[in-house]
Amino acid sequence: MVLDAAAAMPLRLTVNDAPLELQVPPQELLLDTLRERLGLTGAKRACDLQVCGACTVLVDEQPVSACTYLSVDADGCRVETIEGLAAEGRLHPLQRAFVEHGAVQCGYCTPGMIMMAKSLLAALPSDADDEQIRLYLLGNLCRCTGYAKILDAVRAVLRQGQTGSAA
Amino acid sequence: MTEYAVVGRRLPKLDAVAKTTGETVYLGDMKLPGMLHGKVLRSPLPHARIARLDTAAAARLPGVRAVITAADTPRVKFSFVEALADKYLLCTDRVRFIGDEVAAVAAIDEATALQALDLIEVEYDELPCVFDPEAAMQPEAARLHNGASNVAWEVHQEFGDLERGFAEADEVFEDRYETSRVCHCCLETQAVIAQAHQGGRLEVWAATQAPHTLKHELDRLLQLPPGSVRVHYPPIGGSFGNRLVADMKAPIAAILSRQTGKPVKIVNSRTEEFETARTRYPYLVTMKTGVRRDGRIVARAARVICDNGAYNDKGPSTVASAGVTFAAFYNVPNVRYDGYIVYTNKQPGTGFRGFGNPQVTFAGESQLDMIAERLGLDPLELRLRNANRAGEAAASGARPGTCPMAECLRQAAAKIGWQRRRELPPNRGLGLAAMLHTGAGARMYGYNSASAGLTVDEEGKVTLVSSVTDVGQGAQTVMAQIAAEVLGIGLDEVRVIGNDTDLTAYDLGAWGSRTTWVNGQAAREAALRARERLAQSVAAWLEAAPEDLEFQGGKIFVRGAPDRGLDFAQAARLTYTKRGEPISETGRFVDELGPTMKGWGDVYPTFSTACQAVEVEVDPETGAVRVLQAVAVHDIGQAINPMAAEGQVEGALAQGIGYALMEELLLDGGRAVNPTFADYKIPTFIDVPDPQVVLYSDPDPTGPFGAKGIGEPGLVPTAPAIANAIYHATGARLRSLPITSERLFTAMREQPAAPGPRRAAETPEPPGGASPDQRADGSGPDKLQR
Repeated sequence: MVLDAAAAMPLRLTVNDAPLELQVPPQELLLDTLRERLGLTGAKRACDLQVCGACTVLVDEQPVSACTYLSVDADGCRVETIEGLAAEGRLHPLQRAFVEHGAVQCGYCTPGMIMMAKSLLAALPSDADDEQIRLYLLGNLCRCTGYAKILDAVRAVLRQGQTGSAA
Repeated sequence: MTEYAVVGRRLPKLDAVAKTTGETVYLGDMKLPGMLHGKVLRSPLPHARIARLDTAAAARLPGVRAVITAADTPRVKFSFVEALADKYLLCTDRVRFIGDEVAAVAAIDEATALQALDLIEVEYDELPCVFDPEAAMQPEAARLHNGASNVAWEVHQEFGDLERGFAEADEVFEDRYETSRVCHCCLETQAVIAQAHQGGRLEVWAATQAPHTLKHELDRLLQLPPGSVRVHYPPIGGSFGNRLVADMKAPIAAILSRQTGKPVKIVNSRTEEFETARTRYPYLVTMKTGVRRDGRIVARAARVICDNGAYNDKGPSTVASAGVTFAAFYNVPNVRYDGYIVYTNKQPGTGFRGFGNPQVTFAGESQLDMIAERLGLDPLELRLRNANRAGEAAASGARPGTCPMAECLRQAAAKIGWQRRRELPPNRGLGLAAMLHTGAGARMYGYNSASAGLTVDEEGKVTLVSSVTDVGQGAQTVMAQIAAEVLGIGLDEVRVIGNDTDLTAYDLGAWGSRTTWVNGQAAREAALRARERLAQSVAAWLEAAPEDLEFQGGKIFVRGAPDRGLDFAQAARLTYTKRGEPISETGRFVDELGPTMKGWGDVYPTFSTACQAVEVEVDPETGAVRVLQAVAVHDIGQAINPMAAEGQVEGALAQGIGYALMEELLLDGGRAVNPTFADYKIPTFIDVPDPQVVLYSDPDPTGPFGAKGIGEPGLVPTAPAIANAIYHATGARLRSLPITSERLFTAMREQPAAPGPRRAAETPEPPGGASPDQRADGSGPDKLQR
């Protein structure tokens, strides 16, 4: 919901490499800024409590739950959402791997899961074991897949040594 | 095994790319011009009379466009089963559970709508409540509705002669099991948009698994002339049975839209979802089983008490479905099933993956291990001696056409290493459970048919119009693979549309593991007709008879002479341009037994079977259980897309682990105490092992390319397999779900210290270890206490 704009504060940030200047109320959540103001609906609202990961986006490369993150705290930051991941029509290796490994069912958790996995690629060594991958992705819930094929997809990309560029 | 070009291939789903890029538009992402936001005022009490209801202040709030109460709704009671109607669209004078719909508002945004709810004044007079279904059955219990008792519906079926069966048994076992109230936990909460048009039509965008059913339900709820409703069903963020029956948000949004002239959207908050979206029905199951000394089950009776909650929903179908399966499972000659659905002042239940079968199978398959122990038989061997076999009719008359139950049991045991049962380190256990389930929907609603339309355009691209509801399982992709196989083209050449009840013929929706079997046959038929049309069209150019043409690899050619042919696209172009003919065909699948179904033997067109085996480790200090390994061998007939089918089993198995070990919506005085994902835990990445899924192929001649459904079975045997493994590890037999660490810890403390659960004292020879085909000799006294 877009709250009362009377007390709005200036907010400068880049979203998927596009610089933006906005006026947002101090209590506005990053998820609402993205979904309602910017029309970026890839990040989903699902728990409102920072426990399911469906709203995961990256702020200065760190994964955050946009459902509990104040937009004004992203001032001066670089925000990445699922919509910015595929470059010039080419899917990111994670996106390709999720498709090819059958890691997508209803798809509602997928954008958040992929953004979390993107930060995993930067955080874990390419030979990280399954237990490390599982622990890293622990905060992203999926009700459809049972996680097996998501693990397969993330492991496959991690092994390629990709670090998140959409090469 | 027949080799196919597209069927049986691990192909990515048609909608997968859009779901990884964030482009897929779910209902919550949709905005229509002028759209208003609706919110529902819900009862804060489990049972009360509405003494006063005043909406004036709410209506005056700036930004509020409409406030409605029961006075604005048709005075007609509703339920999924019309004869069991018991619920008004909005409560008239009485509320029956915490969350019951009392009033609703539409406003310019959600914040205003929420603010308006606070301004609605309601005074309640509290009424006596009843929460325990057994207590609710007593004559003195407070009544929820006007019936003679709180029993909303009951079913009684007997096949064979139960008394004689028990008299012939060497041992009779009777145990009571209890299953929990679990939530579907779709990551997308329930949502709907309704737009009432001036001309009288009602257009609805709904996250539903049963759009055509919803269309009729809205006609009834709103007392509209038949045919008024058009339902669009966009991609849905999970369903699992939760989106089968109309939720009151849809008719509420429709009335708000009619009053305001604007589209109205209502979305559940997560807490609303936990408190009101409807849950799996908790069952109390009393299971009585009579066996011969050799392990043959000769009589079995189940008495099921289903906690209905405050209103009827899918209770009758889940209780009856579980009974239909119970009456066929293991071919017991004398079998009886008694089911009661009982009102309580709680959130209603609904269907949830397995439709009552997981509840009753938990009881039956747990008890079977207890029986095996008493008889000194290996649990695997006991099941093999009773396994259903293809073509053998059960006492109910049900006759599985194919049924590799014994093979599933043997493979699951071999893969988990069943012969290790006596050599496991401390606190480890192995357990298994089998199941029988429908592989093709059910005929109990009098209809189990479908149709599909198929167009080959002038460029050779194929559009399949299918009524399937793709809930993420890949139904549209499976339909496309079937059509592509028939036409000899690649999956990329096929597009699937549907998602609109004005576009598709009546269809029961995505439930009962029915889509592949039912809709797949319609898609196949449509493709066959298009192929016939094309063959007739190009036969003259190829100087061959139409029936001598092959469709393969994107070409149409004379059988045995691949050079004498043309491209599929070229054939399509010629048909349009030279013959002036469009290529547009309809395929129908007609299940003739739908309308004429007589009894329990006819309900399921075909059965599917499975065995799951697990290895668990129990922490003796805390009672915490970890599932180390899980094997799931599932009879699928023929997988149309093995990757998607595995995904169904893996996902269901994970839900089964949640059902077994951690999930329960806890109620205190009818109020949910854990209605968030922080407090209601579902399995995460570290709770689910990487399972070994085996799709057992045994083509079913009734299914498209031999296929059966696989949506539900993966959850059915998981909880008893885990309970049996926990018993094996600890000697503690838990008869209630979920088996939380606290419950297991307490149970471990309460049981006699000696001889301990270790295996030296337990089962006799396993049936053959690495080659588990051999039978156990059945010797070896059992020293464990039951």
